Amino acid sequence: MRSSKLALLTLAALAIAGCAHQPRPDDPNVRGIGYVRVDEVLKKHPLYSHLSQLQDAIDALGLKSLGPSAVPRTQAQIAQQTRELNRELLQAQGRANAILHQKQQDYQQREQAAIRAAVAASGAGTNGTQPVQQMQNVSAQQAQQVTLQANADFQAYQRGVIAQDNAAVQQLQQQLNARVDQAYRQRATQLQEQESQLSLELSQQDASRRLDLRMKLNNLAMADAQRKQYRDQLASIDQQEAAVVDARRKSDQQTLQAYLNQLRTQTQKQLATQAQKIHEQTRAKLAERRNEVSQQVASQMQGLQPAAIPSNLPAATRDKLAQIDKQYKSQFQADAQKTIQQYQQTKTDLDAQYASLQGADGAASGAAGKQLSDLQRQRDDLYNKMVEQIKRDAGQVAAKRGLQVVFMNIEAAGGGIDLTNDVEKDIESLHQ
Amino acid sequence: MNIRKTIPFLACAAIAAFIFSPVALGADLTDVGFIDQAAIGALPQFQQANQQVAQYKSQLDSQFASQMKSAHSNADRQRIAGAFQQRFLNKQREVLGPLFGRAQAAIAQVSSSQHLAVIVDKRIVVYGGVDITKNVADLVNGPGAVVPPTATPPPADVGFVDQSQIDQVPKIKQANDNFLKYAGDQRAQALKQMQAAKNNPQQQQSIFQSYQKNLSSQQDKMLKPLVDQTRDAMGKVAQQKHLILVVDRSDVIYGGTDITSDVQNALK
Repeated sequence: MRSSKLALLTLAALAIAGCAHQPRPDDPNVRGIGYVRVDEVLKKHPLYSHLSQLQDAIDALGLKSLGPSAVPRTQAQIAQQTRELNRELLQAQGRANAILHQKQQDYQQREQAAIRAAVAASGAGTNGTQPVQQMQNVSAQQAQQVTLQANADFQAYQRGVIAQDNAAVQQLQQQLNARVDQAYRQRATQLQEQESQLSLELSQQDASRRLDLRMKLNNLAMADAQRKQYRDQLASIDQQEAAVVDARRKSDQQTLQAYLNQLRTQTQKQLATQAQKIHEQTRAKLAERRNEVSQQVASQMQGLQPAAIPSNLPAATRDKLAQIDKQYKSQFQADAQKTIQQYQQTKTDLDAQYASLQGADGAASGAAGKQLSDLQRQRDDLYNKMVEQIKRDAGQVAAKRGLQVVFMNIEAAGGGIDLTNDVEKDIESLHQ
Repeated sequence: MNIRKTIPFLACAAIAAFIFSPVALGADLTDVGFIDQAAIGALPQFQQANQQVAQYKSQLDSQFASQMKSAHSNADRQRIAGAFQQRFLNKQREVLGPLFGRAQAAIAQVSSSQHLAVIVDKRIVVYGGVDITKNVADLVNGPGAVVPPTATPPPADVGFVDQSQIDQVPKIKQANDNFLKYAGDQRAQALKQMQAAKNNPQQQQSIFQSYQKNLSSQQDKMLKPLVDQTRDAMGKVAQQKHLILVVDRSDVIYGGTDITSDVQNALK
């Protein structure tokens, strides 16, 4: 009898204590209403770190995509811009050639006029046409100088092109490596997601058994042996789930390693093929430049022709003609050099734009936009699954607590029962 | 059976039942209903109306593009954009307005007939409540006009606030503006740094983490105190008005008690 009284008193005390801590559903300040702060429960979910990683990856990509140079252009836009650059380059070449040609003619005419005037003034018995004609014979020495200069220019160009070639191959290698990295990470994320899904499914399968065992363990008046048995059963469920997930993880790691090897082999092949193309383009560029240089040399030769001064003229006249020749030649070279520099500057700017476009091409083919949407989808799927699980758990808790309706995402509470802590504990214990 | 032993046993059992089975204590009925707005939006008449609006929009888009080409200044562009926006809204109102009105009347009628005090969006209900989606869909699909009840909905346990109006309280608006400016500056700075480190993914990662940390820390400093203050104010107003919960206005479809102005006053 004494023990019965004790049990009665204990239960009554428990009931009173329980009532003192948690309001009842029919309390005027509850009226059958509960709520759960899902955002807080989410933070306790075993998959929250995975969700955060996905969100971070989305934010990082989002931040990068705000940059003007990183916005992936479409192939059509790149093609259009390349055409515009080509047109600008051709226009620049045409302008430079026309200006050079015009200057060459101007200087030649002015030099010839000056020679005629000098010869006439010297009283050498000629109108100056003959000396001019004679001076238009090509000087072998001058031709050699022009050729040497042209060769030096070509070698500088060649060094530049080869440096560009090396940079292009290096950039290609970086892009291909980045693609491998991206593909690998996508696959890893996919497998991780599947592992998470498996883990989630297993925990859902065992949820009722687990809940049942935990409810039994909540009973204070239980023999130690019985308690141990329930705890062992709980631990066994956890171990079984962990074993299945571990097995999947190991298998996934092997799959990933094989995938990485495959990607690397493919990348090496792609790199070799693409590098070959780049080298061919470089050779073509050099060949084209060689032709261009030959034309320029020919053009300059023509401009440099009036150098051989007729020997039958008086010494003073010959000196005068040599001075005129030197003066106009140096003026023309200085003037022409300016035009060539302007053209080179334009070409350098256009080259930079080409390089930028090629970078954008890589970014576009990298499909950053697709990666972003894939990540967003993965994140949303995972988030929805986690929230659904929380809602199911909150529903079970609500049913046990005798609530009529439970809300989520509330702004504030003037009453009601906050189920957040209870649900957090349940969710946390899913993978303990 | 020994009756002296049986009585304490029954008492224990009764108390245990009292403790472990609170389900029986809850009220049998709730005056909270909910509706699946997506399901209503998927009704054929809503889909047809949406298609009609979408077609109109595509027509407007081509006209808009051609008019924008002839715009000479920003003022011209703004004027054209405003005019097109207005035309689109008018069409939307013309096509969807009557349907929304019919759905709203149906919701009111179902609420009244089922003695519900408030109807909320399904997405915020985790458990319980009365699902009136099908009843409303039947009424919307049914023949004839839907007559809304003359009586206003009874007082509800659920209140709501219009967060967009709360955000206009001067000190909150100021804090939000300051934070947005700070976030914009931080983003521009991080972007510049990330572009400079474009060939170094590890450094980019570090820049991004630092950017996030700064943002989060400043958010806690600039906004969190106000968020807490607003939540407290809402809780106090809810208690004064005997409301159990406060939700966002956008989640309440029908009924409920609007406490926006009370919260605004409490925050001033």
